[in-house]
Amino acid sequence: MVNSKISSGALTRGFLLGKLGLKLAGSYLGYQAQNLFLGEGERPQRQARFQQQASRRVREELGHLKGPAMKIGQLVSLGSGAFLPEALEELANLQMHAPGMHASLARAQFKCVLGKYPEELFREFDPEPFAAASLGQVHRGITRKGDAVAIKIQYPAIRSAIENDFKLFRSLTLPGRVTGHVPAALLGEFERGTLEETNYLQEAQNLEFFRKELKGLTYLSIPRVYHELSGDRVLTMSFIEGAPLRNFLKEKPSVAVRNLLGERLVEIYYTQLHWLKAIHADQHPGNYLFQPDGRIGLVDFGCVKRLRIEATEIMNSMVNRSWRAGDAAARRFLGLVEGVKMPLHQARKLLPAAEASADFLFPQGPSANPVVNFCDPKLLELAASNSKQVLRNRLLNPEYLFVSRAELGVVHLLHELGAKVNMRAVWSRVSTAPAVGHHHA
Amino acid sequence: MKSNSVKPRPKERRGRRAENKDKTKQAILEAALRLFADKGFYHTTTKAISRKAGIAEGTLFNYFRTKEDLALYFFERELDAVIEWYEGDARIRRAALPERLFAIIQQSLDRLAPYEEFLGAVYLRSLMPASKLSPWNLENQERHLRYLRFIRAILADAEAAEEIPPVGDFGAYAFGLLHLAMITYWLQDGSRGKEQTLALLDRCLKMGTHFLKNGGWEW
Repeated sequence: MVNSKISSGALTRGFLLGKLGLKLAGSYLGYQAQNLFLGEGERPQRQARFQQQASRRVREELGHLKGPAMKIGQLVSLGSGAFLPEALEELANLQMHAPGMHASLARAQFKCVLGKYPEELFREFDPEPFAAASLGQVHRGITRKGDAVAIKIQYPAIRSAIENDFKLFRSLTLPGRVTGHVPAALLGEFERGTLEETNYLQEAQNLEFFRKELKGLTYLSIPRVYHELSGDRVLTMSFIEGAPLRNFLKEKPSVAVRNLLGERLVEIYYTQLHWLKAIHADQHPGNYLFQPDGRIGLVDFGCVKRLRIEATEIMNSMVNRSWRAGDAAARRFLGLVEGVKMPLHQARKLLPAAEASADFLFPQGPSANPVVNFCDPKLLELAASNSKQVLRNRLLNPEYLFVSRAELGVVHLLHELGAKVNMRAVWSRVSTAPAVGHHHA
Repeated sequence: MKSNSVKPRPKERRGRRAENKDKTKQAILEAALRLFADKGFYHTTTKAISRKAGIAEGTLFNYFRTKEDLALYFFERELDAVIEWYEGDARIRRAALPERLFAIIQQSLDRLAPYEEFLGAVYLRSLMPASKLSPWNLENQERHLRYLRFIRAILADAEAAEEIPPVGDFGAYAFGLLHLAMITYWLQDGSRGKEQTLALLDRCLKMGTHFLKNGGWEW
């Protein structure tokens, strides 16, 4: 095989990796770099798609950094507006992929965490994974008592690999942090969040919190944790029925079902903002599972953000355009979004984006139709550009970033679903209900 | 597939006497291993072993002249066990080559896990040329050949299935070296549940088979 393919790209990449002094065995980045060419046999379609489109773009944009480093790079470039909105979903999918594990490795890792092989603890264990998860993969199983479960197993030693990458990334981005081009607060937030994602015990806690707090939403299923069959790198949960959106749409659900699901998605999201003051922050579309009767499953709570910002007040401000009422009101609103450090004249630059966002989600005025038609591709672009404008701001309160990202994720899902939703009505129903989901009673 | 596979040593017809002898040997080994796991290789005396196995010290001497002989017997049995396990696991034999090779090393490490200290001690002893545990020892070499033939048969299957290009006997040697390197890494691996070893082994085998197949970096 004559290698006519020695492109400048390959050389640059080789040089880059060499320059960074990456140790392949100890770096998540290294895993990802290897995965670029170790793809075949593992998730072939996904890998092909990934290699053809997104990865090229991503690597070009980010100077070839992937993994958690890419996650940060993604933020940085969101800040500079370098990303195309349609790349966002692909990016969300790419974020935290560990290499695939064959059955022998998955079993060995399972034993490494729980001390026994899966066959010794389950009645049945499917050696073939059915889904990729953040940093690992998910297997089906049946417990001794006969419950269908999903068993999430983490790729071995991924945490230390990620820790190494953050060390590397910190030294690489020192100039950027000094000049303020790489927001240090965001970096810290992401390191914390990413490492938290490697601890499945944390995810188990998240699952329990959301299950308890959202049980008023009777159409929503969230997995139950089997503690005796879980550890920090293995998580056993009840199996959630339903199809991811793409597959669900192949069954051609009716307009009524799609609108119902759309409204419910918004309700789930607003309930988290208003009542839980915490959001499911991993906006991967595959984390939502749909059923034809309108039930929704929500899985993968590895990345959860507890909000200290006044999400409810921000939402109410958006609905009512509170900032129009005068300087004090504008100062108040901008303070909520930006944090207090930002000088007002600078913060004011955010107002047009807030106006546009509010017009999009909560149309106002005598001729306006309060029902938002998410089929309209223009709305999606608008949402993405709004979100980008917001994120471009370097002094932004990092928490707001999560909210904005989560919101963009929901909008994206609603667009794919082709739903029409009266956002204003859902918000006022959620925020004025006496307790979570009580309007159902 | 069948024609290439290597069986554990053929069992010749043997009398009850020989069987009893094997049983005693096995009992001694089990007693010794338990003591090695508790007290360590160096601190376990032959007296303690014979007491634990319920035999006279003189009888022990008839079977194993030294602790090194015991160790040799242990490795012999371990190899038998891994080969037997491999031949008996239909799923593994159908798996892709990297998984088959992964499973062989992982299975052997999993079996060795209780005897870590013992292995460390054996490792040091094997560095002395006069030791029976040295790689130059002919009995050791016989066992090693048996191991190499076992691996060669697996690689030959993969060659026949065009999973890898022909590598000949070199492939088995190379894998043997990797196996030894992995045991060394595993012995000093301080990560939780020695998960670093799993990750390293997985990456090595995937990279190795990939390069064998594609002949280079293609990215």
